[in-house]
Amino acid sequence: MTTLLRANSLTKRYGTTVALDSVDFEIQEGITGLLGPNGAGKSTAIKLFLGLLKPTAGSAEVMGEKPYESVEARARLGYMPEHDCLPTAITASEFLTHMAQVSGIPPAYARIRAADILRHVGLEDERYRPIGQCSTGMKQRVKLAQSLAHDPLVVLLDEPTAGLDPGGREDMLRLIRRTGREFGISIVLSSHLMGDVETTCDRIVVLDGGRVTEEGAVSRYTQETETILIDVDSNREDLVTALANRGVKTTLDGASIAVELENQSDYDAIRDALVETNTRLRRMAPRRQQLTDIFRSDPK
Amino acid sequence: MTQGTGELFDLGYQHYDGPREGRMRARKSVFVDGIKTTFGVGHGSLAKVLPVMLFAAAMAPAVILALVASLANPLSDVLPDHSDYYQVVSIILIIFAALVAPELLCPDRRNGVISLYLVRPLTTTDYVAARWLAFFSITLLLVYSGQAVLLAGLILSASEPLDYIKDNWLDIPRILGAGLLVAVFITTLPLAISAFTDRRAIAAAVVIGLFVISSAAAGILTGCDESQDRDFSEQCEPLTGDSAKWYGLVDIGRVSTNVNDMIFGVEEEGQRSQIMAELPRIVPIGWYVLLTGGLATVLWWRYRKLSA
Repeated sequence: MTTLLRANSLTKRYGTTVALDSVDFEIQEGITGLLGPNGAGKSTAIKLFLGLLKPTAGSAEVMGEKPYESVEARARLGYMPEHDCLPTAITASEFLTHMAQVSGIPPAYARIRAADILRHVGLEDERYRPIGQCSTGMKQRVKLAQSLAHDPLVVLLDEPTAGLDPGGREDMLRLIRRTGREFGISIVLSSHLMGDVETTCDRIVVLDGGRVTEEGAVSRYTQETETILIDVDSNREDLVTALANRGVKTTLDGASIAVELENQSDYDAIRDALVETNTRLRRMAPRRQQLTDIFRSDPK
Repeated sequence: MTQGTGELFDLGYQHYDGPREGRMRARKSVFVDGIKTTFGVGHGSLAKVLPVMLFAAAMAPAVILALVASLANPLSDVLPDHSDYYQVVSIILIIFAALVAPELLCPDRRNGVISLYLVRPLTTTDYVAARWLAFFSITLLLVYSGQAVLLAGLILSASEPLDYIKDNWLDIPRILGAGLLVAVFITTLPLAISAFTDRRAIAAAVVIGLFVISSAAAGILTGCDESQDRDFSEQCEPLTGDSAKWYGLVDIGRVSTNVNDMIFGVEEEGQRSQIMAELPRIVPIGWYVLLTGGLATVLWWRYRKLSA
């Protein structure tokens, strides 16, 4: 896999505040989530890779080049900021054509790219509408579209679902997955929403307090565990007692009963306890790890 | 009637494999966008009305002077000529620059579009230089067009046009030189002020206010109220004695026209330029260079800070 972005002992200080503390990580092809709470250093990392900030020490490299030193390296990068960044008076079509040109694409090609990208993000019918008259969801799509207008190798998305309702959020995540998987454009998704990262990304880099705390494939953090979750319609207490009588250890996890499997015979004990207490089973499944567990296990 | 037989195919996402022209294309694009923005191209009809009206108003004095000169030739000696033209239109140029120039910088910062420019193959210096060059090109076109119309009027109204050109050919390099300096100043000042606010109206008000206040202050200090009639002005009585000649420099509206007067060798009696003529020639030129250079540096510095 090709390494697109690389942080080498990357450090950024603002006066006495350390935003990034000598971090090392690589971002390869695919969809990578940059995860962490507010103030973890995500935005600083993005700004360093975009060349907007100069590292205090170490380096942020984009395909082997340092964007702070070589602005040409930015020609193959796309960026969708979290904050408002759209003009209101001109149409999406004109805006994208202009932005493609500012990325180095000649005017005739830029117009074709703008039309193509607006079609891909589902704004074909709205392309001649002034951006100021578009809904929040449409504006988010225009923001994504401008980051793709010049066919970048990698796009950095900063909180792309911010301000969207649940439906709009799911549409945006679907579009991001499509961009990464069908369009073949690598994505760095910066978010503090673990659900967004879990359902969209292949890999994650977790930042906390300016340091990398976790790094790896998302599947590694969402594997099945040895815990079985049991949801029942009634007789929950009776079932817990029946399981205890059979030597099965249980804990309550919200509305579910969590059973720590010690051996395969525990399944027989669960079956027998359900029959004995005449309990109606709604759901029984192995518990999966969640990305939130990364932060739960953190002693801080 | 023929029946269409074509088929539509969705080829899916297509990667771009055409030319990429990098930083130079980025600069050109910001420059062209600046020209279009100045005239409201792509911004709806209302955005076009103001710049077009102001452009027409700035051209009007040249057209009127040329017409009067051609219709009433004997009067042409007392009518304003090339040396006076920039002073005559200065107020219109100032209003044009104050109302239109902020449009090139303020909305990009207000809407946050600037953050998209700065992550492309473009530096803050490239961006601000391209915007400056766009407005400078339009201002230069404006000042030269007016002088060209006036020149055409004066040549055609002369009884011997060829003799007129022979006698006055030096006016052409003077027009070009003075016009260039006027355009540089009229471009740099409003853009430097626009770098401190993202509100167009505030930038415009500050520019116009600066011209009005500095002109009034200079009038009081030098004792030459050029808005009054000639008889009054001839009695220039500076409130500030011998130092009056220095206070004439306060007038922002005359920074470039002082240099224009020097280029054309004008020292009108009873006017502020007469008082200022007592200054060494290097002073108004040095003041122009210092002020324009200072404003350009401020503009560059403000945008340089944005990338940090």
